[in-house]
Amino acid sequence: MIEFQNVSFSYDKKTPVVQDLDLVIKKGETVGLIGANGAGKSTILKLMLGLLYGEGTIIVDGLSVTKANLPMIRKKTGYVLQDSDNQMFMPTVYEDMMFGLRNYGMSREAAEARVDAVLEQLGLQDLKYRHNHKISGGEKRMAAIATVLVMQPEVILMDEPSTALDPFNRRTVIRTIQVLPQTKVIASHDLDMILETCDRVVLLSHGKVVADGDCGMILRDRALLEQNRMELPLCMQMQGV
Amino acid sequence: MHMADALLAPSVAATMYVASGAVAGICVKALKKDEDMAKLPTMAVTAALVFAGQMINYTIPGTGSSGHLCGGMLLSALLGPQAGFLSMVVILAIQCLFFADGGLMALGANCWNMAFYGCFIGYYLIWKPLMHSRLFAGKKNAARVKIALSSVLGCIITLQMGAFSVVLETSASGVTELPVGTFVGIMQPIHLAIGLVEGLITAAVLLFIYEARPELLTELDEGTEKAKSRCSLKTTLAILTAVVVVVGGGLSLFASGNPDGLEWSMFGNSEAGYSENMGLDEEAYGISSKTADAAEAIQEKTAFLPDYAFSGSDSAAGTSVSGLVGSAIVAGAAVLICMLGGFFRRKKSCHG
Amino acid sequence: MDKLSGAQSELREMDVLAAGISVVHRLHPLCKLLVTVTYIFIVVSFHKYDLSGLIVMVLYPVLMFQAAEIPVRVFFYKLRVVLPLVCAVGLANPFLDRMPLTQIGNLVITGGVVSMLTLMLKGCLALMASFLLVATTPIDMLCGALRKLHVPKVLTALLLLTYRYVGVIMGEASAMSQAYSLRAPGQKGIHISAWGSFLGQLLLRSMDRAQELYSSMELRGFQGEFFYSDIPACRVSSVMFVLVSCSFFACARVVNIAWLLGNLVVR
Repeated sequence: MIEFQNVSFSYDKKTPVVQDLDLVIKKGETVGLIGANGAGKSTILKLMLGLLYGEGTIIVDGLSVTKANLPMIRKKTGYVLQDSDNQMFMPTVYEDMMFGLRNYGMSREAAEARVDAVLEQLGLQDLKYRHNHKISGGEKRMAAIATVLVMQPEVILMDEPSTALDPFNRRTVIRTIQVLPQTKVIASHDLDMILETCDRVVLLSHGKVVADGDCGMILRDRALLEQNRMELPLCMQMQGV
Repeated sequence: MHMADALLAPSVAATMYVASGAVAGICVKALKKDEDMAKLPTMAVTAALVFAGQMINYTIPGTGSSGHLCGGMLLSALLGPQAGFLSMVVILAIQCLFFADGGLMALGANCWNMAFYGCFIGYYLIWKPLMHSRLFAGKKNAARVKIALSSVLGCIITLQMGAFSVVLETSASGVTELPVGTFVGIMQPIHLAIGLVEGLITAAVLLFIYEARPELLTELDEGTEKAKSRCSLKTTLAILTAVVVVVGGGLSLFASGNPDGLEWSMFGNSEAGYSENMGLDEEAYGISSKTADAAEAIQEKTAFLPDYAFSGSDSAAGTSVSGLVGSAIVAGAAVLICMLGGFFRRKKSCHG
Repeated sequence: MDKLSGAQSELREMDVLAAGISVVHRLHPLCKLLVTVTYIFIVVSFHKYDLSGLIVMVLYPVLMFQAAEIPVRVFFYKLRVVLPLVCAVGLANPFLDRMPLTQIGNLVITGGVVSMLTLMLKGCLALMASFLLVATTPIDMLCGALRKLHVPKVLTALLLLTYRYVGVIMGEASAMSQAYSLRAPGQKGIHISAWGSFLGQLLLRSMDRAQELYSSMELRGFQGEFFYSDIPACRVSSVMFVLVSCSFFACARVVNIAWLLGNLVVR
């Protein structure tokens, strides 16, 4: 589904943020990207979307990420930003969800039907006509996920989906991620959430893949995690691994 | 400097709307040509920032009072004049709609007084030529000095122009009996002080940006070399004029022997401060009947909508008794409406 | 510094009001805009001595406040911004214009006094009208109405986006100024040493935000068109509203209704 072939990127041409990255993500997989601050997690997500360009080749669903392919790729991928305020720029949740659909030429009626379906799927019917600047942080995050889901993407990229949420809202987000059938890439420091939602984990350090494998295996490896400025997920610590 | 609706005659307001509308039209066209809406998010967020920034108080050392940010110069230095103007228009619209600062009908005038001068005059006459000039060439901190100088000069000059326009618009509308000369004498010095403070604050912010991310500023890198021959005379002239205006204004302020002037203008960054003074300044309305006459003549000429029914004072006096009684009846009707409204609402809530 | 949080709550208050469901809220936004502009124009066009004629215009906002079920208190709070300026300009009039207009008992009323009162009343009425417009019309509807008037979409989109981010950035700025004042007790504002960095920091962060925002627009296929929520169709009631109120305003402007009423009683 997604393939990185020897990808490198740097913002200032001096310090590389991503170095010689090779990575394959299969269809239907849920992959957690973990690593210290500045390890290159968000950059990798942005490279996939063509928001940034580096060296090497990235292929998303058979299409290489180039200017010409961008509209096709962006139609297939959904990106949940770290700050939902940046994602929800229209006055109401409803208009925000309509925004992308209308831009891709869908009629108002068809788009509205799809908006309603997604809101119902996530149990957010109450939010439909609410104003984006008046809903709470948790509602905003769920609404941001809804604006992405409504586009029916085949790949969903998420940047820190659980930060700044109370336990209840965090749980809601985790449950939502668990039931979504799409290919998902989640960048986060919330290792407990990664453990609950992902099949596979990619551990990054200074733009390089340090470890790549089964979620349970990597998140159990105390030495490896601590070498890379992380620690065991809380639930593992409680189990006394 | 936000004008209220009541201070403008419809004709003046409409004229200013046309003027500002034309400028906005040009800006929209220019933006469409080169950026294709890519600048939109930056404009919106910067406008929101300036909006919030104008509510932050900056302590002026040694006075205990505070100053504010000047939006026009900052926006045009960051976004260029066209995008800056539109952002400023939106800021003014939100201020007038949601915060009752200014008025819906005075919006055109306010855009002209604050956005047009700040963005276009400030940019094309001060920021751009100064940034390209050879001034301080070879000195170590040339760019910094130029940024500081142009923001201070820009704020002062554009604010002076804005204040003068306020005077002209108000006088042309014929709402005040204050002679133009007196009005100008009050407005200009105050805005000189305000402009100086705003300029310094704006300079501080722009300098910070210059240190942190110079690429955000317009007109910074390009063509320091090629501008050498082209701009030097014009620049020198512009700077000279600006310096004369500043020094002259400053001198006249102190020469007027009104130490209060500076103080209340420092305090009075809100309109209330200086306006109160306007009413109390006893010297002011004694002076210059000539100016007063001239002002009246201007008023008469510029009153596009003279009143037909009440031209003479006689008829006005004659109508007064009936007018008073009638007004009382209207007031009674208004009260009745309020009571009825309250009654129906109570009834509704009972049913609900 | 409290200005920021004050402004935030003011914005929220207006939002709550605009979300109401009264008769006035249901009127077509374009019609409300038209009536408001007409009203302000007519109010301001009254002659400076024509206080009694102007008084009739009070009826429109009073009626609207009742119909829209909006507390007048909110409005009076808004007056504090505009009234000082209007009063200040008007206050000079009684001193400068001493021409006697009329006499009540021994009290001579000069033109200056009447023109000052007229000016103040005009200020209040004009403000009331635009306040009523915004308090009964959500901003997206207002932008839709502006689009109908062929205001360029750059401007309406900018207005919409700015309005959306004014709240966000004011929140950040007030958090920053709270953090500042916690470490600088007794200071009323930002000290000169932080003049540049305080807003500068916020500006840099806002620029990053703008970048993110643009990405998220691009990712959803933004091509320069904003789609607004549907403006409700213009119903007969809205058209009637425009016709009735505008003709009332026109009548009040041409005929001094208060004077006529008074004549009925006095004679």
